[in-house]
Amino acid sequence: MALTDTRPETGTDARAVAPSVVPSPLTIFGSGDHKAVGTFYVLAALIFGVAGWVATALSSAHEIGSGTFLSSMAARQLGQTSQVGLILLVIVPLFLGLATYIVPLQVGASTVAFPRAAAAAMWTWLLGSGVFIVASFIDGGFGGDRTKSVSLTVLSLGGIIVALLLGTVCVLTTAITLRTPGMTLDRVPMFTFSMLVGGAIWMLTLPVMLANLLLIWVDLRYGGATVFGEASLQFGQVSWLAHEPQIYAFLVPGLGIVADIVATLTGARLAHRNVLLFAVGAFGVLSVGAWAQNAMYPNFADDLLWQAMSVVAVLPILLLLGGVATAMKSGKPSLKSPLGLAVISLLLTLLGVVAGALLAITPLELRSTNAFANGQFILVLGAALAAGAAGIGYWGPKMTGGLCVDAIGKLNVLVLLGGGALGGLSLCVLGFTTRFNGLADAYDALLVVSVAGSVLLALGSLLVILGLLSGAHKSAPEAGANPWGTGQTLEWACASPPPTGNFADLAVVRSPEPLLDEEA
Amino acid sequence: MTAHVLPPAPPVQRPRVLVVGAAFAAAASFMVFIGLIGIYLAARVDIINAGAKWLPEGSKIPLQQPNTMFITLIMSVVTMQWAVAAIAKNDRVNAYLALGLTLMLGVATIIMTTYLWTLMKLDIASGLQGVLIYTITGAHIVMLVVAMLFVALMALRALGGQFTARQHDGITAAALYWYAMVAVYALIWISIYVTK
Repeated sequence: MALTDTRPETGTDARAVAPSVVPSPLTIFGSGDHKAVGTFYVLAALIFGVAGWVATALSSAHEIGSGTFLSSMAARQLGQTSQVGLILLVIVPLFLGLATYIVPLQVGASTVAFPRAAAAAMWTWLLGSGVFIVASFIDGGFGGDRTKSVSLTVLSLGGIIVALLLGTVCVLTTAITLRTPGMTLDRVPMFTFSMLVGGAIWMLTLPVMLANLLLIWVDLRYGGATVFGEASLQFGQVSWLAHEPQIYAFLVPGLGIVADIVATLTGARLAHRNVLLFAVGAFGVLSVGAWAQNAMYPNFADDLLWQAMSVVAVLPILLLLGGVATAMKSGKPSLKSPLGLAVISLLLTLLGVVAGALLAITPLELRSTNAFANGQFILVLGAALAAGAAGIGYWGPKMTGGLCVDAIGKLNVLVLLGGGALGGLSLCVLGFTTRFNGLADAYDALLVVSVAGSVLLALGSLLVILGLLSGAHKSAPEAGANPWGTGQTLEWACASPPPTGNFADLAVVRSPEPLLDEEA
Repeated sequence: MTAHVLPPAPPVQRPRVLVVGAAFAAAASFMVFIGLIGIYLAARVDIINAGAKWLPEGSKIPLQQPNTMFITLIMSVVTMQWAVAAIAKNDRVNAYLALGLTLMLGVATIIMTTYLWTLMKLDIASGLQGVLIYTITGAHIVMLVVAMLFVALMALRALGGQFTARQHDGITAAALYWYAMVAVYALIWISIYVTK
């Protein structure tokens, strides 16, 4: 038996030497490579996502019947913890991870700005997330009985926010300063632009969350725990994060992912690109919600500004929908799973913002219970998860170097659409109970549907991981630099997975779609 | 797989990565205080509208120490800008002197804040006011210390000869964060110390 069956020189498979999707521990811990950091964010966020959606399902399941499934304290904490967790442990790091990986490639940079800070941010986030989960299990949810556990939760959330902001600074600085010559700000790819908008909104609003947490923590530790740290008042200070309009801020990068995928998979340049850029920017501006704090401003929902923002937020989404429809009509849509996921993401986004507009209409009395707002939360976060899934399906071949199994993605189109729509819409219907008494009979049935929806979203998160791993598997066909064949932006000009330093030569860009210029 | 052949690159304009990053960090730090002071003002309006006095019985905030700190920090802006101007002219001696003075003025501000805390006779556990005032002024000290570390780090790099007239992004970035810290103090000065 020879040591090798084939001569070493014939082993030209690039992926045999290139880092696989799960790098070895040594490279992980020491790596300041934006690709390793981004991959790690994405995988960890998706694993947290499975747990987060299961927790959402459990807290809804508690409401079914007589409500004896969990203790009422545990159910409330689980519901609140899963809302905060789904935002800060799942959706934000999912987009931030994709951005850490993709934005430097899209702008033609060799690295992310401050690579070691980006790595430090990821590890701090991961550590903070672990502490947050442990603290939640030892009665540390908001309003929990054990003050020390609650302090730990608050502290870990503070650490998570600082880490996510540091990671965002790295991505934004990359997009601002490291763009390749000729790439003016209106020529950056849609995902990079949406990350600039979304990241800027995070930079302006998440520090306010940090201020809230700081006050709770100081009052718990040094004050009398009578004002900010008082158990029943804690969640009211941070709940704005999970409510309209702030909830939209976590969806903004998803809009750019959708636009990038639609452009590539229809093979046409996006028409009226400036209008789409404006729509993403406008949606970002309309998502600044740090001022609508329940604890400080209980009547914010009667504020004309809040109602106007909620209603107007529908318009940018309609603009984007129009842009996508135009691209579908003028191009040749290729029926691959990222396109399907992008479309359902936009569909769930539309449902989410329409639900948000309805929520703002006072005569409908949808704010008298939490059901409708919780339904909207699931719709919006489902849309964000679908956008993340679409992005991972779309850039998966770039990240792994192998073609992902498209059937997994296609199955996920159904799973995520079902999960988001069932989980969200059922609770939205429940929100109408105050208007229609007959709905009370359907109360349990609607909750069962919602639980099923949340379980499907957990399953969808798992399928995204499976899809990504299928691309990293040895048997996956080699992706090549431009696996979709119609890539328009610079990330499709470098090898898959990109080597250290990404690009051999500095690209010069003359339009938003440099690769199409190359062919012309 | 053949990579796309891209046209030859023009000379690269060196990006000002550190300055932009520091600007984002300064904006985020500033927003923490916007949040804190917003909550402070909302809480104060509620109490005053209810007909009560904002500061609890027996507590007072003198103006002399806050004013001294404000003047100190304004002087530190001058010394910081002096350092930036000096390094831009390759005048290292002046740059070291100015950075050293800036750090000294920072230390003076920390000392004055802690002295002010002893004068206020405000118990943190007494309620809303104590928690808010100590959190905000304490957080500002944290921001000041971060800014001082940034300046000290850049001063050490300047001592190591890393900054010249052509390349002095580090000092500019540290100055940017320092100015944001002073702007935060201006907000605290007017909303906590002057108006009560």
